[in-house]
Amino acid sequence: MAFATWGDSAEGRVSVSRRQFLAAGAGVVGASAVRADGWPDELRRWLGRPAPPTLPGDLTPPVGERPDLAGHVLGRLTFGARPGDHARVSRIGVDAFIAEQLAPEGIRDDECARLLRHECDELADPRSSLLGGAGPGGVGELYEYKDKVLLAQLTRATLLRAVRSERQLLEVMTAFWTDHFNVDPSKGEARWLKVVEDRDVIRAHALGRFPELLRAATLGPAMLWYLDGRVNRRAAPGERPNENHARELLELHTLGVHGGYTQEDVEQVARGLSGWTVRDRRRFGRGRVEFDAGRHDDGPKRVLGRELPAGRGAEDLTAILDLLALHPSTARHLAEKLCRRFVADEPPVRIVERVAAAYLEARGGIRETLAALFAAEEFRDPACRGVKFKRPFHLVVSALRATAAETDAGPALVEHLLRMGHAPFRHATPEGYPEAAHHWESGLLWRWNFALALADGRIRGTRIDVARLRDRLGGEEALMASVLGRRPEAEEQSACAASGGGLALLLASPAFQWT
Amino acid sequence: MHPQALITGERGTAGTLVVVFLRGAADGLALVAPWSDPHHARARPRLRAPEQAELRLDDRFALHPRLAPLLGAWREGELAVVHACGMAEDTRSHFEAQDLMEHGGVTAGGWLGRFLRTRPAAAHGGLAGVAIGRALPECLLGAPGAAVLERLEDFALGGAQPAWRSQLERLYAMQQGRLGASARDTFLALRRVEEIRRQPPVAAAGAAYGRDDFSAGLARLAQLLKADVGVEAAAIDLPGWDSHFAQEGQVERLSDRLATGLAAFRRDLGARWATTTVVVMTEFGRTVEENSAFGTDHGRGGAMFVLGGRVRGGQVVGAWKGLHPDVLEPRGFLEGYGDLPVLNNYRDVLGPVLAAHGATKADLATVFPGHRPASLPVMRG
Repeated sequence: MAFATWGDSAEGRVSVSRRQFLAAGAGVVGASAVRADGWPDELRRWLGRPAPPTLPGDLTPPVGERPDLAGHVLGRLTFGARPGDHARVSRIGVDAFIAEQLAPEGIRDDECARLLRHECDELADPRSSLLGGAGPGGVGELYEYKDKVLLAQLTRATLLRAVRSERQLLEVMTAFWTDHFNVDPSKGEARWLKVVEDRDVIRAHALGRFPELLRAATLGPAMLWYLDGRVNRRAAPGERPNENHARELLELHTLGVHGGYTQEDVEQVARGLSGWTVRDRRRFGRGRVEFDAGRHDDGPKRVLGRELPAGRGAEDLTAILDLLALHPSTARHLAEKLCRRFVADEPPVRIVERVAAAYLEARGGIRETLAALFAAEEFRDPACRGVKFKRPFHLVVSALRATAAETDAGPALVEHLLRMGHAPFRHATPEGYPEAAHHWESGLLWRWNFALALADGRIRGTRIDVARLRDRLGGEEALMASVLGRRPEAEEQSACAASGGGLALLLASPAFQWT
Repeated sequence: MHPQALITGERGTAGTLVVVFLRGAADGLALVAPWSDPHHARARPRLRAPEQAELRLDDRFALHPRLAPLLGAWREGELAVVHACGMAEDTRSHFEAQDLMEHGGVTAGGWLGRFLRTRPAAAHGGLAGVAIGRALPECLLGAPGAAVLERLEDFALGGAQPAWRSQLERLYAMQQGRLGASARDTFLALRRVEEIRRQPPVAAAGAAYGRDDFSAGLARLAQLLKADVGVEAAAIDLPGWDSHFAQEGQVERLSDRLATGLAAFRRDLGARWATTTVVVMTEFGRTVEENSAFGTDHGRGGAMFVLGGRVRGGQVVGAWKGLHPDVLEPRGFLEGYGDLPVLNNYRDVLGPVLAAHGATKADLATVFPGHRPASLPVMRG
C-alpha cells in the first residue's frame, strides 16, 4: 500500500502533492485535499496516519504591533500558537483558556491520540501490556523490545504530543518535570525503564501534586538506575553509602543548592534511601522497585535537624520526603524554576515569592501553583512579553505548529534537535537541560538550517504547504502575522520579500526565536 | 577587508590555549596515584594503584596505566601535574563546582571569555574562542567571539541563496545584546570556515587519534589551528567521570581517550605545539576512600595537567601532604578517611598559563577578580 512507504519518498510525495494542489486550484480550499495515495486527509486523520492538522474556521491573525495578552499566554502555556489559536483565545478570553489548559482531562484530544496510536504502536496506549498496564510494579513486555526502538518511540511520542496535542500545558509541564527529574536513559536498564517512568511518574503527576510526584520520581525504576540508588545498601563497618541519589534529591529535586542542607544531611539521606532497589536481569520480576530491609541502614538518623528514630525501615524515606516536599526551600526552588520557565530568565522577586506561597498553601498542588503564577500581574506585564528565548525543542515545535506542518516526528526531525543540543531524553547529567537564554544563544546556525530545511521540504517525514496556508490566512502579511503573533515590521516584510525564501527567513529571524 | 587578511593578520604570536574539562569529577587519585603512600592502599583496598615502575613520575606519584601515551611529553619536559588541586569553596555539587570553576569564581561570564576580552585582536574574530561540541561551555561565556563547532563540514548554511543569507544578516544586524553578537560571530565564522574548506589540511604523520568523539574533536581543532584562523582559546569536554559505581573500567576507558587524544594532538600540531598550551581540569576530586560499590564519591582536591611547548614539565608542582588521616579534610561525621584537601588553587595554575599567553598582571585581575594570586611554576620563562 502506498502509505506504507511514507517517509521513504517524502520529497517525491511533496512535489506530487503540490502539483495536485495546483491542479485543484484555490477552489478546493476548505474541502479535503486528496493525496497521492488516494486517501483524503480526513480519512487519514481518522485512521491516525500523518496528515496536516485541521485548520479552524476563524483564522484572523493578530493585528497589534506587539504581541497582546492572548499571544503572550499562547506563547508561554503552549509550544507555540497554531493558525487560528490567537483568534480562538481572543474570543473565549485568556482566563477561560488558562482554566481549560489547567484541566487537561476535560480537553478532547482524539486526533493526537489516533496519530500516536498509529505512529507509536503500543507505547501510546495507557493500558498497553508493553508497559505492564495491570498495575504498579510490573513492566510488562518492555524488555522484549530493543532499547533503541523504545527510545526512538518515546522521543517520537513526545514530539508528536508537543506538536499535536490540544493539552499543551500538560506537555509543557511534562517537559518541565522531565528536566527537573532528568534521567539519561543511556545508563544501565534505564534504557527500558525510562519509558515506564515517563508514563507513570512524569505524565501521571505533571499537573498533580508535587509530594506525590516526588515520591514517584524518587522511587522511579529508571531513577534508581540513573543515580545508582539501586546499589545503595547499608554500609559495612568502615564503608560509606553511595551518596549520588541523596545529593541530587536535596540539591536538584527539592531544596535547591542553597536550600540549607549540609554534607551531614546528604549522608543521612543516603542512609535513609539505602535498601530501595530495582530488580535487574539476574532476578525474576525484572524492573520492579522494592524495599530490601536487609540492605537498609535502620539506625537512628538526623535530617535537617529532625531526629528519625531507629527501626523504621521503609518509613525512613517517607519521613524524609515529607520533610522535603513542603519545605520552604523547596517551595522557593520550584517557584524560581517555574517563574524562569513561564515569566523571565530573571523573574521579579515578587512573583517568585507569591508562587512559593501559593505552593505551600496548596500543599504542593501543581495546578493551584500554576494558577497563581498565571494570575500574577508580573506574568501579564507587557514588559515580560517576548523576553523568553525559545529553547531548541520549543523553537522546532513552534515552527511546526505555526506552519500547520504534517510530521511523523521521525529521525530526520530529531537529527535537527540533536544538532541544536536539545533532543528529548539526551541530557547526560542530572540537572536537566538548562532554561536560560545564554545557554542557547550560540546555536543560531543550526536554527537557521532547520528553518531552511523545513521551508524547503528537506526534512523527511515532515512537510508544510505554504501556499494552502497563505491562501487560507488571506495573503503574505497575514501569514507573517500569524507566525509572529503580531503585525510584521516593515523591515521584516522587505527582508522576506527580497530573500527569495520568505517563510524560512521568518522562522530564522530574531523575532521568531523569542516568545 | 579580504577574509584572508582577517584570518592571518596580526595573530598567532600569543598561541592557543586549549582547555579540556573532565566533567563529572575525575578521580585524581586514580589518574595520578600516590603509589608510595601506604594510606592509598589502605583506603582503597579494591581499587589498585599502578605498580609498573615505568609509570612512576617520581618517588611519590605514578600515572594511571592508560595515561601512558602522555609519558613522552612528561619525559621531554612538556607535561606538568598539579595534585591536591581545586577551589576553596567547599561544594560537592557538580553543577555548582563546574559553574564556579568555569566562571573563575563567583562572577559573571567565564574566565576564558574574560581572558579573550583582554586580548586586543579577539574583538575581530568569530573564531577567537572555539568550543568543540554542541554547546558553549560556561568558561567561554562573555567571549567577544565564540563559535560552537561540531564538524567542520557542518559549519555551513545549507541550501541558502546569497540573497537569503544577506537578508538574514541584515535582520540580525539590528539586534542588540548577546543574540546580535552571537549572530555576528556566526557569520564571521562561516566566512572563515568557508576559506579553510577550500584548502583542507590533513593530520600530520604519526598522529594516531582515537576513534572516539574526544579525539575527533581534537583533530578538528588541530585543523583549525594549522589553518591559522586566529583561534586563541578553545574548550573541549571529556564527560563521564562521575564514577560512583564500579569505577575501574570507566576510568580506564576515559583515561585511554584522554591520553590517546592529547598525544595525537601534540604530534599533529607540529611546530604550532611550541605556542600551544593544553590545560586539563575537573570540578573536584573524589573521596580518598572507595565506597561499597567499588566506586568513589564526590571529594575535594583533584589533579590538573598542563601540557605544551612552553610548560615547565617533568614535575609534579605545588603543595602535597600525603594521605595520612591527620592531613585530610574531615568529611561529614561518618567514620573513616577524610577528603584530600585543596592545597593548590586552580586559578594559581591558570594564572601563569594565561600570562604565558599574553595576559598582563592587570588582565589577570580582570580574569580572576578578587583572587590573590600565588602563581605555581608551571610555565617556563
